[in-house]
Parts: sequence; C-alpha cells; structure tokens
Amino acid sequence: MSGAQVPRFAELVATSAFSFLEGASHPSDMVATALARGLDGLGLADHNSVAGVVRAHVALRQARDQVGEDIPFRFLPGARLVFADGTPSIVAYAETRTGWGRLTRLLTTGNRRTDKGKCHLALEDLLAMHEELLLIALPSETLFPESPASEAPPSENTTALAMLRDAAPGRLWLAATMHRGGADRRRLAIRAALAGQLGLPLLATNDCLYATPEDRPLQDVLRCIRLKTSVLAAGRRLAANAERHIRPAAEMARLFRDQPLALCASLDILERAAFRLDELRYEYPDEPVPDGWTAQGWLDHISWEAARQRYPDGVPERLKGKLDEELGLIGRMRYANYFLTVHDIVAFAQARGILCQGRGSAANSAVCFLLGITSVDPMRHDLLFSRFISEERAEPPDIDVDFEHERREEVMQYIYARYGRERAGIAATHIHYRPRSAVREAGKALGLSDDMTARIAGTVWGSHSRVLEDDRVTDAGMALENPEVARLKGVVDRLLGLPRHLSQHVGGYILTKGRLDEIVPIHNAAMPDRTFIEWDKDDIEALGLMKVDILALGMLSCIAKAFALLRDNGLGDYGLDSIPWEDSGVYDMLCRGDSIGVFQVESRAQINMLPRLRPREFYDLAIQVAIVRPGPIEGEMVHPYLRRRQGKERVDFPSPSPPHDPDELKTLLGKTCGVPLFQEQAMKLAIVAAAFTPGEANHLRRSMATFRHVGGMHNFETKLVEGMVARGYTRDFATRCYRQIEGFGSYGFPESHAIAFARLVYVSSWLKCRHPAVFACAILNSQPMGFYAPAQLVRDAQDHGVAVHPADVSTSRWDNSLEPHGANAGLALRIGFRQISGFRRDWAEAIVVARAAGAFSSFEDVARRAGLPPRALRLLADADAFGSLALPRRIAHWEARRTPPGELPLFAAAQAAELAAEPPAQLPPMQAAQEAVADYQALRLSLKAHPLHFLRQTLRHDGILSAADVSATPNGRRVRMAGVVLVRQRPGKGNAVFITLEDETGITNILLWARDFERQRRQVMAARLMVAEGVVQKSPEGIVHLMARRVEDRSFLLDSLSEEGACAAELARWDEVTRAQMNRHPGRPLPGQHPRDVRIIPQSRDFH
Amino acid sequence: MPPTPLYLALLFPFLPSDRCSRSAAPPKPPFALVERSGTSQRLAAGCPKAQALGLVPGLPLADARAREPRLAVVPHDPAADGAMLRALARLCDDATPTIAIERPDALLLEIGGSVHLFGGAHALAHRLRTRLEAHGMHVQEGQGQTADAALAFARYPAADGVIARLPVAALRLGEDAERGLRRAGLATVHDVASQPRAAIAARFGMGAILALDRLDGSAPRPLSPRRARTPLRFEERLAEPILTADGARTIMAQLIDRACTRLARRGQGGCRFEVSLFRTDGETHGLVVESGRATRDPAAIARLFAERIETLADPLDPGFGYDRIVLSIGRTDALAVRQPELEADGETETDGLSDVIDRLSIRFGPARLLRLLAADSHVPERAERRVEARSAEQIGGARSAEQIGGARSAEQIGGARSAEQIGGARSAERSGTAALPWPQACHGDPPARPILLFDPPEPIEVLAEVPDGPPFRFRWRRTQHRVARAEGPERIAPEWWRLKSGALHGGRTRDYWRVEDMEGRRFWLFRHGLYDEPQNGETQVGSVRMPGWFLHGLFA
Repeated sequence: MSGAQVPRFAELVATSAFSFLEGASHPSDMVATALARGLDGLGLADHNSVAGVVRAHVALRQARDQVGEDIPFRFLPGARLVFADGTPSIVAYAETRTGWGRLTRLLTTGNRRTDKGKCHLALEDLLAMHEELLLIALPSETLFPESPASEAPPSENTTALAMLRDAAPGRLWLAATMHRGGADRRRLAIRAALAGQLGLPLLATNDCLYATPEDRPLQDVLRCIRLKTSVLAAGRRLAANAERHIRPAAEMARLFRDQPLALCASLDILERAAFRLDELRYEYPDEPVPDGWTAQGWLDHISWEAARQRYPDGVPERLKGKLDEELGLIGRMRYANYFLTVHDIVAFAQARGILCQGRGSAANSAVCFLLGITSVDPMRHDLLFSRFISEERAEPPDIDVDFEHERREEVMQYIYARYGRERAGIAATHIHYRPRSAVREAGKALGLSDDMTARIAGTVWGSHSRVLEDDRVTDAGMALENPEVARLKGVVDRLLGLPRHLSQHVGGYILTKGRLDEIVPIHNAAMPDRTFIEWDKDDIEALGLMKVDILALGMLSCIAKAFALLRDNGLGDYGLDSIPWEDSGVYDMLCRGDSIGVFQVESRAQINMLPRLRPREFYDLAIQVAIVRPGPIEGEMVHPYLRRRQGKERVDFPSPSPPHDPDELKTLLGKTCGVPLFQEQAMKLAIVAAAFTPGEANHLRRSMATFRHVGGMHNFETKLVEGMVARGYTRDFATRCYRQIEGFGSYGFPESHAIAFARLVYVSSWLKCRHPAVFACAILNSQPMGFYAPAQLVRDAQDHGVAVHPADVSTSRWDNSLEPHGANAGLALRIGFRQISGFRRDWAEAIVVARAAGAFSSFEDVARRAGLPPRALRLLADADAFGSLALPRRIAHWEARRTPPGELPLFAAAQAAELAAEPPAQLPPMQAAQEAVADYQALRLSLKAHPLHFLRQTLRHDGILSAADVSATPNGRRVRMAGVVLVRQRPGKGNAVFITLEDETGITNILLWARDFERQRRQVMAARLMVAEGVVQKSPEGIVHLMARRVEDRSFLLDSLSEEGACAAELARWDEVTRAQMNRHPGRPLPGQHPRDVRIIPQSRDFH
Repeated sequence: MPPTPLYLALLFPFLPSDRCSRSAAPPKPPFALVERSGTSQRLAAGCPKAQALGLVPGLPLADARAREPRLAVVPHDPAADGAMLRALARLCDDATPTIAIERPDALLLEIGGSVHLFGGAHALAHRLRTRLEAHGMHVQEGQGQTADAALAFARYPAADGVIARLPVAALRLGEDAERGLRRAGLATVHDVASQPRAAIAARFGMGAILALDRLDGSAPRPLSPRRARTPLRFEERLAEPILTADGARTIMAQLIDRACTRLARRGQGGCRFEVSLFRTDGETHGLVVESGRATRDPAAIARLFAERIETLADPLDPGFGYDRIVLSIGRTDALAVRQPELEADGETETDGLSDVIDRLSIRFGPARLLRLLAADSHVPERAERRVEARSAEQIGGARSAEQIGGARSAEQIGGARSAEQIGGARSAERSGTAALPWPQACHGDPPARPILLFDPPEPIEVLAEVPDGPPFRFRWRRTQHRVARAEGPERIAPEWWRLKSGALHGGRTRDYWRVEDMEGRRFWLFRHGLYDEPQNGETQVGSVRMPGWFLHGLFA
C-alpha cells in the first residue's frame, strides 16, 4: 500500500443462504455487514439463482431509509453460474437492464432443462447469452474446495477462459482469493501470472460464504447437511478456518498488497455494472383490451356497462360516485390492465361454468363487484376501498380469487396457454427452516443420535418459533448444560428462519406484457405442467410487481355440484347470486348449532359459538366467521362482544374531548357493538382516533401480520396510545385498543374477506337446510374437504331425514347420487363406489357401462361383463355391494376369492364362468356387529349401525352413558361416557385438550386440562374407543361439555367386534400439528399398510 | 425301528429386546427397537413393558412417542438377532444334533431320538427352558408330532396343543390369505379343514392344503438343520510321553502341518492358534498366538509359537512328559489359494512385513507396536491416529460380524452390539475416518506438513509482525534463530464442535508458518490465537494481550 490513501473495495463474490446448504447468511445480513465494514459495495451471486437479491435490495433500501440519506454504497444483483460441464464458475452482473434479462433468461434456460431445484448450464449457453454482462471467472474454484493445496489450473479451464475472453472482450475478470491457506502469496503470484498470460484483469475477492466469522459454525453445519455427514466425520470437507466472511477494505488491501490493482478492479466493476433492481419496469399484459381501446377506456366502458345492466332503471348516485372514485384512482395508478387481466381470468372460469369468488380486500371494490371478480356488493356493506388500493401506499392491489378446487387446474392451464410460459409464472414460496426440521437436520449434522434429536424435535409444537425454547429441550428430558444439547440449541437458533428451498406458491400468478423470464428466472415445479419464478410474494411486492392469486376452495366445488344436482333433479336453477337470501329457516338451523358440513362454521369452536351469537342476518355471519379466530380470541374481544350483543352489557362508545366528533367511534364500531373485530376497524381506529395516516395504518396492519417486523411494533404502540390520549381518550381505553389490535396478528380477518366467506356460509347453509340430500351428495362427492369424515356427513344427512341407500353394483355410480325415494318425490342418497376405499374410477365406469346393457344376474355376470380384476371384486364384496343379487358380504367375498389373484381380468372372467359348478359354500353367517365393523373397514361408514350400538349393553352394565344421555344430564353431574374418538385437538397455548367422542346417539365434546392430559397421555393418544369420566358443564345456550378428569382406553372392545381380532398396528392419523401435510391426502393409506386392515373406525384427526 | 419323530419348538417372543437387555448398558424399559420405513421410523419390536403399554410393532415412532414420551429406542438389528438365535441354538446343542433355526425368532429341535436321555420330553423342555431363561430370554415352547405343529403350539399357546383349535394364522399363508379366511368367517384350522379341499385350493392355492397337511403330518416337511461347525481341532495322543520341549515342538509342527493342509482345503487361514499340552501328571500348558492376518503358512505359525515359547516366564517344562498335544484354531478367515511362484516379489514383501509385525507384537505385546493412520482433520495432531500395528493390518480385510460373532459366546454378542449402539456419535466418527489416504501434496509444492511433530508443541519466543505477519526471529531451546524465509499463515480454526462448553465459538485459532532460518533449517511454527480473538491471551504485556507462539514440528 503506498501513501496514506484509504483503501477502497467492494466485495463482489458473495454467496448467501439462497445458495441452499452452502451460504450461511441472509442476504440482508450480508448487506448490513458490508455497510458496517465500510465497503463501497456488495455483489450478491448465489449459485445459479437470484432468489436472494431482492432481500438484499430491500435491506439496503431500509438502511437508506433509516439513515435518511443516500449512502454511497451500491448493491449489485447477480448470480454465480455453476456449470455442469466443468467450466469454472462465473459470477455475472448486469451492465444494463438488457444484461439482466440475458442473465435471467440464461438461468431460465438452465432451470427448464432439468428438474425442480436444479440448473443445468454449459459454457455454450453463456457464450450464446453474455451480452451486457460483466463476468468474473473463479478458475480452479470447484464448488467444494477440498484443500487449499490443489490449485494449478487445468488446461481446459484456461481454454474456457480464453474463449470467454474472446467472446466478451473487456468484460471478463479473473478472481483471486486469500483465504490464509498457507501458500496464499505464492498462489496469488501464479494467479497473477495466469491473468497476465490471458490478458485479463485480476479481481480481489474473498468469495464470501457468510457475513461474519461467527457464522462459520452454521456454514459447517449446512455443508454437513448437504453432504449427509456430521461435523465429527466431515474432516477436511469443512473449511479449515472462518476466513470466508466479508472483510473490511483495509484488511483486503493488506492481504492483496502484492496486487493492489486487484482491489481497484472491484470498483471498476461496481461502476460499470449499472443495473439496479429498481429499473425492473413492469407492465401488465394487454391482451384483454380490444383494438382501438386504451386499457383504462375499456375498463371504464365495461364497468359502466355492467353497472347499467345491474341497475337498468338508472345507476344509483352512490354507486356512480364510488365508480368515479375507483376508476379515477385506478387510472392514476395505471392499474387498468391488472383489473382487466383478472376480469379475463374470471370471465374464462364463468364461461366454463367454474364457480369462483374473489376474497380478501378485492371485495372492497365496486369495480371488482361489477366485473364479477367478487360477489360482495360493496354498496351494501360500505367497505373501505383504501384497504384495497391507496395512492399513498403505491402498493399494487392484491386480488385473490377462489375457484372450485377440482377445476382450478383448468384455470391455471388457461393462464399458461393464454400468456405463455415465458410470460406467466407462479410466485415462489421460500421455505424456511422450522424448529422441527432444524432440530432434525442440525442434530444429524452434529452427530447426535437420531433418538436424541427425535426426542427434542418431538416436543416442538408450533412451527413458527424463531428460537428453540429452553422448555422444549428440558421437556425432552435433556439438560441444557449438556454441551451437545447446548450446541444443538445454538445451531438451531441460527438455522431457524434460514431459507431451505424454494417451493411454489399455492396459486399466486405473475403475468407480464413482455417476457417474464427477462425479469426473473423461471423454474420447473415439482408438479407437472407448472412453472414458477424465484421470487416470493414479499419480493414481488417490494419490486412493485402485481400478482393474482388463483386459489382452490373445496366448498365452491361442493356448491357447484349441488347447483348441478338441483338442476338435474328439477329443483331449480340457482347461482351464487340467485339463491333466496335471508331465509329465516336457514338462520334457525344455524342458531341451533346445526352446521355440520357448512362452510367455515362447522368446527367445534364455531358450532359452540353459533347458539351464543345467534345469527339472524347476513352480516351476523360475517361476524361469526371473523370472531372465532385467534386474533379476536387472544385480543379478548369475543366475550365483550357477546355480552353486548346479548344485551348483558351496555354498548358504549368512549368519546374524545372536544373539538373532535364525539361520535367518531360510534360510526366506526357501531356495527360490531363497539368492539373492533375486523382488521379494517383496527386500521380505521388508528386513523380516526389516533390520527394515523392511511399509509401508516396500513403499515401497522402489515407489521401486525408479519413476524419479521416485530421490532417496529413498539413505535406504533407509543404513537397509537399517545395519539388517542392526546385526542382525549382515557389511557386505559387506548391501551386496551392497542392490545386488541396487537391480538389480531396475522389472524384477524378483513371485513371484506369475512363477508366474502359469509356468503359461502349462507349458500352452504341454505343448501343444507333446504336440500339436505343434495347437499350431502355434493359434499361427499367433493371430498376430501372440510372438517368431517364421510361417516359423520352421512349420519348428519340421515339425522335430517335423508334416506341413504347402500352402495350396490346394480345401482351405484362412481359418485354418490340421488334417486327418487318414497311417494312424495323425495330424494334418497345412493352411496357411490368412490366411498369404497381403494376402488378405482375406471372400475366404476366399467360397471356402469356394463349395466347399461341389462341388469346383472349373478356374481360371475358382474365380473365378466364389467371385466373387473379380482381386487375390484373383492373390494365390492367387502363393501357388501352385491345386495341386489342376494349375495351377502361373506358369500360374495368367498366368490371373489375364487378368482385367483394375479390373473388377467379377461382370463379370470372366462374362468369364473367355467368354475361355476361348485356346491354352495357352508360359511358361518355374519353377525350384525361384524357387518357394521366390516362396513366401516370397507367404506369408512355404515348404514347398518354404529359399532357402539353393539357395545351398549356392556357399557350400560358399567354405568357408562351415551352421548344423548350426557346431553340430557343436568349441569354439574359427574358421569362417564364412551365413544369413538373423532378428533383430538390441542389449540392455542395448549393448556387444554379437546376430544370429540361419537357414539350411536351423537357426539360429546370432552375437555381435558393439560395436567390431566399429561398424566394420561398414553390413554388419550392411543384410544380409539375412549371412556371419559368427568363433570357435565352446560352453558345457558345449552352447549354441553364433559370436563373430564380421567379417561380410559377401551379400544379392545372395538377389536372384539371384528372377526379379524385385534388390530395388528395402530391406525395412521391425521395430525393437527405435526403432519399438516397428511391432511392433503387424507384418504391415502400409508405405504405398506392397507387402511382396511388396521382400521375399524375412521381415522381421527389429531395432534401429537 | 427309528423312534417316532417328536419336535420341540422354542419361541423367543422378545428376542430383540431380550438381546438388548442383556447388553452391558441395557436401555431402560419401556424401550423399543425401531427401523426406518420410507421416511418414517416405526417400531420393529418392543420390550415386554412397551408391549404391555400398547406400543406394538408397526407403530410409527412418532405415535409411540406421543403416548410415551420417555420411550427409549434402540436401532433394530436383524443381523444381531440372527446371530443371537444361532448362539441360542448352540446352547441347545446337547439336546439333539438336529436343530433348525426358524427365523426370525424360533428354534426347532427334533428330539425324538434323544428324548429318552433326558427323562422325557417335558423334562428336556424344562431343562432347555431353564437354561435359556437363565440367559435372560423369554421363552415359549411347543411340542408336536410335526415341526409345524410344534411351532404353531409355541406361537399360539391358547390352542392348548390341539391342532383344530389353532387360529388360521398358524397356517402361515401370508397376510392376504389369512385375511380372506377370516373374512369368510373361518377362524380356526378346524374351520378351514372342514371346508371342501377343492374350495380352499381354488381360493388360496395348493399352499393352503399343504400347510394343513403339514400340520398333522400327512405331508412331509423338510427341516434344514443348522450345520454344526466342525471345530478345527487337531490332536496327538502319545503312547510314549514326550519328555523334551524339542520333542513337543516337533509334534506341534506336525499338528500345524495338518492344520494348514485342512485350512487350505477350506480356503481359509487361521488368525488365532491355541496349543494345549497335557502332562501325564495332569498339568496343562496353554499357548496362544495370534496373527494379524489369516495365515496357513506352517513355518510362520511355527515361528510364532517359537517366539511365544521364548517369551514365557517359565520355560516349557515337560516334567514327566506330555501325553497329549492339541492344536485348535480359534478364529479363521477366508484366504484364497495362491500360487506362490507367480506372485513372488510384490507379495512376499508385505508378507514379510506382516510377519515382522506379528513377531514383534508377540514379543513385546500388541499394545506396544503401533502404526499411524491418516485421520480426517485440519488440526495437525488429529490428522493421524495410532493403532495397534496388528489391527491396522486387519482394517482392510473384510471380516463379517458373523465370523467374529461365531467364535464368541452368546453373552458377548449382546454386549458388543449394544456397546456400539450406545456410542452412536463415536462410531460415526470412527467410520468417517477409517481407511483414509494420507493427503497428497501437489506436484511441485513443498511439503505442507513437517516430518516430525512435537507433542506437545514447544513454546518459543518470537518476534513477528503484528497482527498476522511472518516471524522475524525466534528462540527455541535457548537458541536464537533468525528467519530467512517464511510462508504463511495457514490458519486453522479450532474445532468448535469439540468445545466442552457447548458454545459455538471459543478456543484459539492457530496461524501456522513454515520458516527457514539463516542456516537453512526449516521449522513449523504457529501463533496460538489471533489478536482480535476474545479468548486468546497466553501472556499479557501491559494492556496488550499477546497470543503465544509454539514450535510444532521440524521439516526434513
């Protein structure tokens, strides 16, 4: 170093945690460290990915905001191209916007060539697409440097470099590192000689893998996870030291004193790589606009057209005003194309007869309503449009639309077809380490036994903690003082929140006018025919890109099927808008808590709330939907609201001191009895009572909704409380308001969303109330969805007077169906073959086709004409589906067994006919209990009887009551009740366990306090037939709970009913906490285990 | 007329858990053995207590833990169970020569011929049962006229020895057929047997008929008895006692020759040879030699015995003469037949080395002849490990658990296995470092590591550029050295995963320098600690914390 000049340097080869299992720091931490170290800039180059650059970009923007001035620091978004053909890795930065497009297209090319999560690039790809890119070659730098000792560059690398140099003259640098490997200076000289020989400038870099030396242990662990080894065994596959952090310029200058120009090169690149992420100007597709129209003009036109159609006698003034306001704002913000695009998608769905409905804040917009995007009329509900779009926020609107879950794929493929894969992509979801995965993987990497990590991981309940709580560790019986445990905790705490891999968002689409792959790389998803981009919704929002959420909703499928059934059976032609609204019978039903199968309000908590809330009009349903949420519950708003609604408490609105409007809160909270229940109310409260600007209020909402900004909440508290106090409210009231707002967290519903959902609540309730057979049939055909298993749904239908007929080869179809019943043209439900577990649709169709030619006459007839394989026949026999042929289950099974397994259906059928001369089998008759149990095993439901029916004698003998008895028992009485376990839940803070038991008379809800649970954990977790002993508690509304102290596992009684004796293995479970994944395929058996073999009763839905 | 066949089945319903309970550090009940199936872990077996708690095989471990959070688990090890079963079979050797191993958990003994020796079948069963229970096994027994019946009665004691009462599962037709029979309402063997045979055969195949017939003996069932291992034992009985040690050696040499011929025929070599010399007055001398690798070279073995005899505290004293000399080979290993002439040069040399190692190990004791192996670590003193020279020889040789286990008694099997399981973390470390090549220097590079390492490194006084520049001068063993050339630093951070505190940071980083002094001597120095490392500070000068310097090695 010569002279007293302060050395300057920019670190241009930095790898973040978005190079999964290699980089160990968040991009934002790397930016923060580079700033703190006083560097001139930082270039982030993850392995074949730009997934982390927006995070870094945002971090720098926030840092600038905090300092309040322009920091002379530049962030370069780039990528490190790792080639599959042995070419040395190249870090690429964009000189211009075009260059960025080249880079993302290059990565897209590599991604689309291979499977999800991989990128296959060759040197030719770069040679074909390097314009306006600055390239830094990292020769000899294999991905995982084994030891610093081997460095002589192989000759082919030199060849590749020469080719690149010739292709990109003046845009290629040769990187050199000084990692204190012993021979650094000698190697630097060799590298400099190579650079000279190739005529390339040398670039100093530290090839960072993490921000600070303290991050080295985490990098070691990540590398061990990737290499599937442990730190104890990894040896030299781990780095020898902690040198690969972001170094200050002075230290770099000292290390590179032999090559001072190499430092200057970093500043050259910094200057020349002029592209900034802010430049990503982005335009929405303009396909939906006809020729000759501007987007805004067309939107105005169709909106007004729709308004005039809706109000042929003249558009109301209020709507006119609202439309003017909204269209004006949309015009100023240039969002017209966005609305038209969503309209186009919705119009496609409607044309195809796919039910859809906007949810979330889109329901606040009259334009969305008129365009059919949402069916919530904002005129009727006076919703806050600024929740949706506001000028101040300059934040793109977020429209979420629900589609029928079984037909959403059609809509998705329409989008790809219409815009092309290079213009449409699903947003990514960055999957982060959660406590459980972190413990498991870190434990393995630290060389702990599976047993030990499983024990700690097993005690983790939630999945969102930011640190591994000490309690969790001690719960597992481990001492925190144990060094291995302490180390595990240390690593897990650091691992939590680190990205682990990319996944696709559930349905958030990014659509562009130009090429999407010139904005961000596109990946193949794991699902066929899906492609997604690298950025997640936060990134998209930070860059001002717009997305449409194409979501799937099971209830829409159910409603669509119900409407179709109504049409087919001549019961009327209805749509979401045209069913009779405000039918008092529907509300009567809901007030009784009779809501099994109904959208949203069918859970135990909701069913308990219904008789208390007693909804009488549509808006009550919106409140009902919104109130049973963790937000209002934890904000302690439920009871004040109920008391006020029931008139037990005066509804009062604290007033501010003059000169403020004394009724300002009345206007705001009038609809909800003075208790804020919706997100908008919290926002409005802040705006009205604490003088927040709408932008600030929205910021408050976002802070509440995300865990990341927890740090900022305190400022809001001061501002809100002091703001309200200054306005003349009491401090007590202000603090309570703040607590309530805080309670919302991410769990509060916006009013518009609640209203959108309330519509589906009403529609499904109306169907259930007025057309119970249709509803039951539709909901069974839309499974899996909702809260209840087919057995409960069928039973609920029977309880509502629906006749249910068993599955039968002579009448059933694949789907459940309706058939005339009784003299008065009633409808009965016929169980379809889809209810037979393991049965296949094509078998069912073959049966229907064969049947069309004439009724079946015998078992062989079915087998031969439908061409069914032995497995299908056995399933039908076990499901007792040969009743119409007078073949009881046992005989049918004996027949089905006769076709030996493993034969081609054709031969089997032919043989069956020849084999027919066998004397009738002398098999013992089946007992009723066995029949019922066999029904459950084959169909997961029985129309004959509930298994407990057969145990009633025994149970009564023991003084055990039925569910009906319990409901009839006076409050405070100590009783015992037995039932099949339907659900075990441990909600919220986990201080109580809720268990739902079912018997032949109904269900009973059991509550077990956590301490009692721990004492009897095994019984609670293992029982399929449980006896609960406790005190009956009855609320004034007639809601009954059994407050259990003691439970018993009497599953053996169930086993005794089965002819197959004791179950070999325990049933596989759905799980509330640990196995949320399983819920997606509840009908699917675990590998190696056929559900029928092990299950007498349907699986319960549980936590662990 | 041959005796009527009679079978005794011994079933070990808790074989895996009994095996674990017998280990040196048995897991605390309730415990279970788990195996991985797909992505999840499932119970493969449980101890009686776990079973009683309803933690049955097949249950996912997560579910079991949900019910019994304190459940201890051990990895399921079918191979060890198999070895255990074989060891148990050996314990029954005296009852009958015909013992079949019925995997996974039973032994089948044909006792028709030997039952009279033990005072009846029940007495025999009782005797075996007591013996096995003394070894900590849970035992269920069954007797029958056929092998299958005996096994079925052991498995289903509720049938009370009546074939007709056995459940259909006793037919062992597989899950699917069993389910089919039960579905048809046929619960017992009797139910099945009373159906028309054609109907059964049409549905469940001829296998079902055969199974029925085998139960009552109308169809034969071949047994595959365990082949007894003929011990490699060579004996010389002498009509005329041998009175000199040399004479004894001659006999020993003959025995060795015989043994080697036999070994060659079996394609094996011996690793452990034991000679017992029986004196006429009843005294016995035992001599044991072990070889690092399997051998059947008579000269080499004789040489080992010669070494052994030389090291004896009391020389071999024939006294009134040896009248019996026995050579037994305790451990064998596969050793291919070779043609010595063709493989003359390369092989003889290593053979020579292993001979030397064997001889020196016998002379000085195996623990005193060591060899260095490479270990995978950046930390120089951990980059090598010392092992017994003889065991180093064996590391390459594949030696199955079976062969080792075969020679040990049943007790040892359980113990050795679970000791390994307990030290899970340790064994992972071991497996990772086994058979690792020494690091290779790049062509043209000077050696990165010195030829001699000091243990411990020797403290030196150094004058060096702060914070991490090269040393200029250092004083070692009272001699001042001026540094002419230096290369470095090679920075080696401490292995954080070994810190006793469990912290992720701490310990001292080392900066290594290769230096050459004015006289051309080359040293390996390191500074222990960085100036900005909080935990450093060997010596403190004023307010400045000074990391210490050490000399760690000398280059050639």
